[in-house]
Amino acid sequence: MPFYRCLIPKDSLTYEQREEIAVAFTDVHCSLSTAPRRFVQVAFLETDGSGEVADSHGSGVLRYDTPYFIAGGNRAGRSEDTKRLILSGLIEKFSEIAGVPADMVSGRITEAPASWTMEAGRILPEPGAEADWLEEPAAAA
Amino acid sequence: MVTFEFFVQDGCVPDESRARIVADIEAVCAEVLGAQAGPVSVSWTVIRKGFGFRGGEPSTTSLVRSRIPDGYGSDARARFLRSVAETWCNLTGATEDEVIVSARDWSWAG
Repeated sequence: MPFYRCLIPKDSLTYEQREEIAVAFTDVHCSLSTAPRRFVQVAFLETDGSGEVADSHGSGVLRYDTPYFIAGGNRAGRSEDTKRLILSGLIEKFSEIAGVPADMVSGRITEAPASWTMEAGRILPEPGAEADWLEEPAAAA
Repeated sequence: MVTFEFFVQDGCVPDESRARIVADIEAVCAEVLGAQAGPVSVSWTVIRKGFGFRGGEPSTTSLVRSRIPDGYGSDARARFLRSVAETWCNLTGATEDEVIVSARDWSWAG
């Protein structure tokens, strides 16, 4: 976590753009949270324009009506303001790097409790508790 | 019912391993969650080479995301997550750091 899936039209982004967006997403997420950079997962999925994708952190599907869509999944527990800033930062960076108007990019972030995910063999910490988690030996999981 | 979405990086999970993975994950569900958890459904999404990143670097990490019936406590959930992760690593050769496993309640809306 977080897991950001970018739904994009086929052949719309070069490798260099995808890599730059992945780095930018990591920068945005980690500048607004205390998550370590290795937590940030970004995947690009080329779509046929169906306009919906299964929700990775909730139930049902997320529907969208823009050519580009960011389906984010984060740990729960952050303020509404932080969540809003993360999403707007992602959309801004995506638009800038992809070279598309911001109104062609939309997104939604859903959340699930940290304790419902295991990473590197350990239950994830709550947002803000990452430093202690990183210092704990793996056996503490 | 238990559903899984496997997000795997291209080349990290051989096609011939998939049936065994599904069978063993079904066995984990039966053993840890019990028969009352119901049937298991699996979908695979392969992330093409050059399309998956972790911390801004090319990724070899798989994400195993599941939904399970409501009502399991933290100990049972942790045991389930650990068993799924161990099964995944044993069958794919991934390291512990290369798999992220989650299990959210069926009713959780996100």
